[in-house]
Amino acid sequence: MNKDIQKNTKQIGAPQKENRMRRLVKKVHLDTKELVLLQLLIGVFLLMSILSPGRFLSVYNLQSMAYQFPEFGIFALAMMVIVVTGGINLSITYSATLSSILGAVVLVALNNLGVQPLVTVVIGVLVIIISSIACGAVNGLIVAHIGITPMLATLGTMTLFEGIALNITKGGAISGFPDMFQWFGNSAILGIPVPLLIFVLVIIATYFILQRSSFGAKVYMIGCNPTATRFSGVNVKKVLFLLYIYSGILTGFAGIIMASRYNSAKESYGYTYLLQSVAAAVLGGTDISGGFGKVFGTVVSVLILQVISSGLNIFGVNRFITDVIMGMILIVVLTINFVNNRMEEKALLSKKVVTA
Amino acid sequence: MNNIFSQIKRSKEMGILAILVVISIIISAFNSSFLTFGNLLDVVKSNIVLGIMSMGMLLVLLTGGIDVSIASVISAVTVIIGRFMVDYSSNIFLIFLVGVVAGSLMGLINGLLIAKLKIPPIVATLGTMSVIFGLVLYLTNGNWITGIPQNFIDFGRVTIGQFPVAGSDRIQGIPIQFLFLLFAIALTWFILKYTMIGRGIYAIGGNRDSAERIGMNSENITLFIYTYEGFLIGLAGVVHTSIMRQVDPNAFIGFEIQVIAAVVLGGASVLGGYGSVSGTIIGVSLFCIINNGLILMHIPTFWQKIVVGVVLITSISFDVIQKRMHDKKNIRVDIDESESSFKRLSVVQKSTSQA
Amino acid sequence: MKKLVLKATILTMALLMVGSVVFAQGQTAAQDDEITIVVMPKLVGIPYFNASEVGAKQAGKDLGVNVIYTGPSTADAAQQVRMIEDLIAKGVDAIAVAPNDPAALTPVLRKAKQAGILVLDWDTPADQSVVDLSIHQIDDKEYGQHIWDLLVEEMGDTGDYAVVTGGLSAANLNGWIDHGLAYAKTQYPQLNLVTDRVPTDEKQQIAYQKTLDLLKAYPSLKGVVGVSTPAPLGAAQAVQEKGAAQKVAVVGTALPTDSKPYLEDGSLRVATLWDPSKLGYLTVYLAKEMLEGKKPVDGQDVPNVGKITVWEDGKTVIMGPPTDFTKDNAGQFSF
Repeated sequence: MNKDIQKNTKQIGAPQKENRMRRLVKKVHLDTKELVLLQLLIGVFLLMSILSPGRFLSVYNLQSMAYQFPEFGIFALAMMVIVVTGGINLSITYSATLSSILGAVVLVALNNLGVQPLVTVVIGVLVIIISSIACGAVNGLIVAHIGITPMLATLGTMTLFEGIALNITKGGAISGFPDMFQWFGNSAILGIPVPLLIFVLVIIATYFILQRSSFGAKVYMIGCNPTATRFSGVNVKKVLFLLYIYSGILTGFAGIIMASRYNSAKESYGYTYLLQSVAAAVLGGTDISGGFGKVFGTVVSVLILQVISSGLNIFGVNRFITDVIMGMILIVVLTINFVNNRMEEKALLSKKVVTA
Repeated sequence: MNNIFSQIKRSKEMGILAILVVISIIISAFNSSFLTFGNLLDVVKSNIVLGIMSMGMLLVLLTGGIDVSIASVISAVTVIIGRFMVDYSSNIFLIFLVGVVAGSLMGLINGLLIAKLKIPPIVATLGTMSVIFGLVLYLTNGNWITGIPQNFIDFGRVTIGQFPVAGSDRIQGIPIQFLFLLFAIALTWFILKYTMIGRGIYAIGGNRDSAERIGMNSENITLFIYTYEGFLIGLAGVVHTSIMRQVDPNAFIGFEIQVIAAVVLGGASVLGGYGSVSGTIIGVSLFCIINNGLILMHIPTFWQKIVVGVVLITSISFDVIQKRMHDKKNIRVDIDESESSFKRLSVVQKSTSQA
Repeated sequence: MKKLVLKATILTMALLMVGSVVFAQGQTAAQDDEITIVVMPKLVGIPYFNASEVGAKQAGKDLGVNVIYTGPSTADAAQQVRMIEDLIAKGVDAIAVAPNDPAALTPVLRKAKQAGILVLDWDTPADQSVVDLSIHQIDDKEYGQHIWDLLVEEMGDTGDYAVVTGGLSAANLNGWIDHGLAYAKTQYPQLNLVTDRVPTDEKQQIAYQKTLDLLKAYPSLKGVVGVSTPAPLGAAQAVQEKGAAQKVAVVGTALPTDSKPYLEDGSLRVATLWDPSKLGYLTVYLAKEMLEGKKPVDGQDVPNVGKITVWEDGKTVIMGPPTDFTKDNAGQFSF
């Protein structure tokens, strides 16, 4: 286990109670946080719509956004489930591209052999999922079993995955998939884009695993206090290991969507999603030191970032100014949360004094 | 208690130091020019910026914080001093002043967001990173600043002492930039070791609440470390410009991860409370040497990243496992000694924290 | 409590609104009946693509069309695809794109075509089956060979040399290097490439570090080829610092203004490139002609650019040969 965490918790001793109190306080006021986010989402959406009713609020643009955010959203969730444990997963984008490259090699090979497209696609997708599980397992092994700090461990695997991917592609992109493979990223069922459907499935699955299962409860416990969790009989290593595999599988889904949308696989696709995912997770109220974070908040943040990005793009705003605005939003939202927290804490404290 | 902690501390750095030595030996076996004065000087010179910035990052990590905005801050600093020396004055003292003031101010902003508004460090600095990078690139459009004044270029070429280069008749001096690295290391070491702030930094990283209870002002200390880090980044920005002789606003994209990784590699904990100047120096050196060794060892391009990944993972694993064994030994010793119930209690506590 | 949340949120809204409106007004002054041409570089905020922007904007002014020059802030194909999707939603007349990766853009460019948008590529070729016109600054094969000819001119046709490149996955850089290496194999068999191309992350600092390492790892090195604009400068800096400018010849692709100091001190022997602003100009010019139903013809004289070459397929346009920059002429250029 990570000794630093333990050292920390050991010294805490008495004040631990107070921390737990604070966490409890946070949980009570979670609705405020999510309310802020939801209002922000509605706000920016209305704002963009008013400023550009013909363009932003067109069926085409709404649909085009629905093709865009699923891959980002899945990355954000893959990041968020790890952040909840107090870790971080820097390898998400390269895990996705390495998996999709391995899948692409198989897809192209089978396609060239003249294997039936459906069979090819099914095998290709399986290879991507299995590879992403393997990537997750490597992370899990190193973090949970060897006990390396997640940041260093996933930095190492990030470099490793990128290296393997580069070695396979020699820097180029692998393309030449059967046309059927494009279905995952470019088609729609009853007008709903397939990537969006995949994203919705991922959201539901993550919600149930994290917030509705005993496994999820253990995950949050680890995030709060790994030592205490271990002593309450939870197999921390196993939980962490499985969680990193789950994060890996999610990157596999993102990999499938990206490979399909870009009709090719390459090691560098989507590398900018890494920091954006961290931003979406923390904007969504995930506590970077672990123990707190919800699927709902993360998803809403992804939507906020998407609406702003697309909207400003349609207005033709300089991309760097878009970056500036994104940064401001991060700071402003967190400041609002701080002010709210402070107010409510005060309210709670005064109530206590009265009851005492 | 103290004794055990110092033991662990020593062992923590010994592990990573051993790895450094082993890797150095391996590289030297492949290429004898690795362990020459000239090569080591090159390695140091090309990583001075990393070295200076790692000292600031160490303090930040020690308090349990993190700063991902450092790359954007140094970009901003280099652009500011670049414009300053091209448009206003080539006075070297003024250039340094502008650089460190600009860096410190940006650091102070981070500090204010974190200390006063209680925004988690990673969020605050992610935010300032976007804002600062966005502004720098919006204003410069990424264009390089060239035409750096000659006296500043000459300043950057000053060397100290003269040493013969093995295998040739050339002589080489130690670049002046080296002094700034030494200064950053010495100052950081002094702060940590001999000042109240240094003690406060460790205390906050260990446990913020208890630190406050014994009278540490965690807000002020937080303000100080982020400003200090900004100050060092300002220094690093001037040093960088004196080496590169032009300003590329895009030069530092992605640099923050390298700095953080190098410091963490040196044993600093991302959760705070643990880390040392000597460990950081070893970590940064290891990081640089792995990169330097790739080409010296004739590792093919498409294998280099794989090698870096594997070396990183195995060396940290080795370090972690070695430490764990060391700790187990310590606990066993304690159990043997423990007769009184009081001591038994301390064992329970220790195994809670170390097993 | 709710009131407070509301107040804070309103504040955010106000901030956002002010920001967006201010910037939106500055940038969307175009009327809807005007022709709108999007020119999208691989990324914005680097000197090379800034120079192209100048040309593209100038052409827009000269020809009376609305030119939107926008691209991602990092060279990520995923971000580029998202931006093109937004631009299709915005509704434009033509999109000329320099793909970060040709294959990745094929589906989105097909979408653009289905939406009735004219699709062109510039700087780096996209999938040829989806573009209406492909504008190349240069014939990639000839350019690769030209770089290697310059190398041989400076270092002679025997000896060890190395290649430092911007990035391992940059399609156009890889193209030039591949053509150059193949050419060297047949034309200059005595040249010996010491190691595979060395990536430098499009940064001068890294190119400098890697070249220092190369000089030590391969003491017999006689030449370095820098491909991508910062790479030759970093290589030259390393060579200069080691006092090896006489022994090791550095050549490569660089902008003349940035490379001037290195050309002058002799550490960079010769640089070769085209004028990126002309390329931007040509792109907008041809896009407008295509929108008006006029196809480019071989030998056509484009104002401010010069005579262009059009291949037999009718859609591949070559701007012209590169310009070589030496210490004698580097001062004459403005890019």
